Amino acid sequence: MSSIKEKFNQISPSEFFYSNRDLAGFSNPTRSLYTAVREFVENALDACDQKGILPDVHLTIKAVDPDKPDPKPYILTVKDNGPGIDAEHIPLAFGTVLYGSKFGLKQARGMFGLGATMAILYGQITTNKPVIVKSSSDAKIQNQFEILLDIQKNKPVILKHTTKDISKKGLSVSICLEGDYSKAGNKIRDYVYETSLITPYASITFDDPKGNKFSHPRFVKDIPPPPTIIRPHPHGIDVERIRRMIVESQFEIPTIDDAMIEKVRKDLGLSKKNLSFTSIMDKAKKKWKNLPRQVRVVIALMSFLKMDFEKLNKIRIEDIDMPNKKLFYWDFGDSQSKSIDMDPESQYYKQLTNTVQGEPLTTFLTKRFQRVGPTTAVKFAEFAKLKPEKRMGTLTNQELVNLSDSLQKFDDFMAPDSSCLAPLGAEPLEKGIKKFFNPDFVAVVQRPASAYSGFPFIIEMGIAYGGDIKTGGPHVYRYANRIPLLYDEGSDVVIKVVNDTDWGRYKVKGEPPFIIVSHICSTRIPYKTAGKENVADRQEIERELRLALQFLSRKLSSFMSKRGQAEAAKKRANLYAKYIPMIAEFCTELAGKKKEPNYKKMLETEIETETKKAVKEEKEIGNK
Amino acid sequence: MATSKTKKDSKAKARSKKADDKQKNILEMLKSHGAKIYDDLDNGQFPKFSIPSRSVSNIVYDKKLRQYILGNNAALRSSRNSAQLRSFTQLMWLAFFANRLTNEKKSSTLRDVYYSSQAFAVEFEDQSESDNIIVDLEAVTSKPREDFHIFPEERSSIFGDLNIEYTIPGYEGKTMNLANHPDGYSIGPSLTTAELVDTSAEIVIAIEKGGLFTRFVEEQVDKKFKSIIINTGGQAPRSTRTLLKRLHDEMKLPIICLTDGDVYGEHIAMVIKSGSANAAHLRELTVPDAKWVGVWATDIEKYKLPTIPMTESDIKRCYDLQKDPRYQDGIWKKELDVFLRLKRKAELEAFSKYGLTNITDKYLPQKLELAKSL
Repeated sequence: MSSIKEKFNQISPSEFFYSNRDLAGFSNPTRSLYTAVREFVENALDACDQKGILPDVHLTIKAVDPDKPDPKPYILTVKDNGPGIDAEHIPLAFGTVLYGSKFGLKQARGMFGLGATMAILYGQITTNKPVIVKSSSDAKIQNQFEILLDIQKNKPVILKHTTKDISKKGLSVSICLEGDYSKAGNKIRDYVYETSLITPYASITFDDPKGNKFSHPRFVKDIPPPPTIIRPHPHGIDVERIRRMIVESQFEIPTIDDAMIEKVRKDLGLSKKNLSFTSIMDKAKKKWKNLPRQVRVVIALMSFLKMDFEKLNKIRIEDIDMPNKKLFYWDFGDSQSKSIDMDPESQYYKQLTNTVQGEPLTTFLTKRFQRVGPTTAVKFAEFAKLKPEKRMGTLTNQELVNLSDSLQKFDDFMAPDSSCLAPLGAEPLEKGIKKFFNPDFVAVVQRPASAYSGFPFIIEMGIAYGGDIKTGGPHVYRYANRIPLLYDEGSDVVIKVVNDTDWGRYKVKGEPPFIIVSHICSTRIPYKTAGKENVADRQEIERELRLALQFLSRKLSSFMSKRGQAEAAKKRANLYAKYIPMIAEFCTELAGKKKEPNYKKMLETEIETETKKAVKEEKEIGNK
Repeated sequence: MATSKTKKDSKAKARSKKADDKQKNILEMLKSHGAKIYDDLDNGQFPKFSIPSRSVSNIVYDKKLRQYILGNNAALRSSRNSAQLRSFTQLMWLAFFANRLTNEKKSSTLRDVYYSSQAFAVEFEDQSESDNIIVDLEAVTSKPREDFHIFPEERSSIFGDLNIEYTIPGYEGKTMNLANHPDGYSIGPSLTTAELVDTSAEIVIAIEKGGLFTRFVEEQVDKKFKSIIINTGGQAPRSTRTLLKRLHDEMKLPIICLTDGDVYGEHIAMVIKSGSANAAHLRELTVPDAKWVGVWATDIEKYKLPTIPMTESDIKRCYDLQKDPRYQDGIWKKELDVFLRLKRKAELEAFSKYGLTNITDKYLPQKLELAKSL
């Protein structure tokens, strides 16, 4: 295991992704063009969402040489009105892999901005053209960069950098890549269309290579509340993640250099240059309460070393061996390693222990995880058979595995916090469906937050019938974190739930004009593949989907039966108008009469009543 | 000579009057039904009428009449009920059409009715829907469809010394001897409505199959056994059953049935004797004294007939009939039990194993003898 990891560390992330690009959806010119569009549009929307800006996104795809047959190079440009990126970050953001601003636990379309870099990488290897980035983060100056990626070194190569005056914030990214629009066009148009349905507060335009313009103006003026960044839930964590958290939580031994000594001197309020060791210690004791942690650590070290600043300047701390209570340092004076014993009774010993061994387990749990209180933390320690005061830095490998295992199994943690989720909201979803399909019936539902494996999620779903919807339904529109999922629908959990439904039970028969919009919001969508197109059937998600669909189907069913009643009333009126005159005709001859019976008035009254009934029913269900 | 002619004339006149009266009755009845509907409409009401229920729960076996009859349950058909409006209109049209047929003394068939409806923009999904409406009309009026001049497609026939006199328009008074044509005469509207004048026969043999019917004619069974031979063509059509009844009631002839040696054959005989549940709404279609003489299950063993195994559906049919009240005693029960025991069946043709004329030379005489004691 560790040897594989070492190997990966030896190649740059760029190289790794270069050789594994099909994992990220860049397997062929068709799919690559589609994926590139997706990545840039989603980055633009995410950037606007994060700053609460109503997004204006412009997508343009132009063929470099329109007369060439597909696949051929295309120039893909996505422009937004987001916050832009500061000039100093642009080369790294667009010229290295694994550099991004999206680290942290909250719902976003993409995770690490990785996809966009992949698209740039793909563009570069297929056309050898740089990415052109235009950005303004202050609405005054626009920085324009032309950047190539040095794949082996994972470093940006700036070909050109210019600036110009501008009056608007925003970012525009343009890449040249090999694509196949004749094959990808449908999916890209669907993608833009479906994105605008789930992002009704965004205005999205698309200029395609054939000169067609697709415009989807915003029809909702309010941006849904943005998600908050939260700490992880204990259930959603593995050994590796705990290890990293421990490293983060351990305080580093500060490097004792000139700057640090100067800082200590300043914080202690020492004016004289060469103060003796004892007077430094005296001063520190008095000021201890107000000293920052780093300074305290230096003072603690000095207390054991018994050195003044001058001497301190001539050594380097090598190791602090807490179990053996030894302090190792390198003396530059006589160029050898030395050690001294530390007195565990010293008040400074504790300071070092804290620093080197990290937080106690209970503090670690309450501070680093969401919704864990002191009581739960102590209960958990008992469950995991660890001492509550156990220092995180002293855990052995086996104890770490045991801890991770117990975190998964402990049932008394509270449910995950869902404030990190940003569902669209029932109202905008309904508005979107009405605008897109002009249906006779629509119902939407937002399920309460739920969780799988420590990851919170919310299901939003809408159902619509009739109107402009084409027959042959149910047509399912799948979304995950506001991204439309267009490929691989066969194996998706939403499709599974829809297919399991017996629509006849809900009075939906034949080839109904009928759509279902499903939106899964989560901090981590359990995609089946790296291509992020189909959601795995996690039991908890499947259950929520089922409940949402059942709720909506019942509403649809009552609409269908009311509609059925209205139709029946109409039908009755028609039947009377058709058959009663025939009965009159036949019975006249049968009864041996010449003149037909006087039934017209009766018929008119009856038809009028039935028509009124039909109109009333239709008004009741009138959902338009 | 003169007297005999006068006598014959007066007889014919009486017969003609009888037919006229019958026609008049039918027309009167149809008119009264029509008038009721007309009045309802004229009074601004949705017309309705009641119809005896033909559901299984309303079909009961009448031991006195020795046939199935309808109970007292009736359903209301209303033109206000949109679910019934279509069939209401269809029935009105049928009454209207039957009225024309009867009035003009024209005949029609089940199929012809179905096609005629189209001329009046009355829709029937298929012929079985129109057949069903015809049964409705029978149920409402308690008259068989033949009274309204509606007949099934002919497939059964008759042969033997029987003189008849036609009553249908254009043939009134014309007579015919039914032994004149060796293929037999098909039992259609003209024969069903004809008067039965006289016969030298002493028995009627109803036989299930056309092939055996031809054999019987060839072997002159009519002469050898002084009989009238009728081919029922499987399950006897109602016109044939009506004719059988008339031969029994008017000519005082005993009726015997000869069928295949299986459970379906047994039931063909039973339907001739006591009618079917399907026609529980009608009387005058049964010959309670008719006798089934073979082929019995016991004959299979007695005559060592070649057999074939019964199918699943044959066996199921046996069990179904065991529940029928008419199969609770006598040969009906006994033979059914034996069929179930043997699980094998034999065709009428099985006798050919012992020679083509074996059935008429050996089997039939024995059975005719036996019939006297049944």
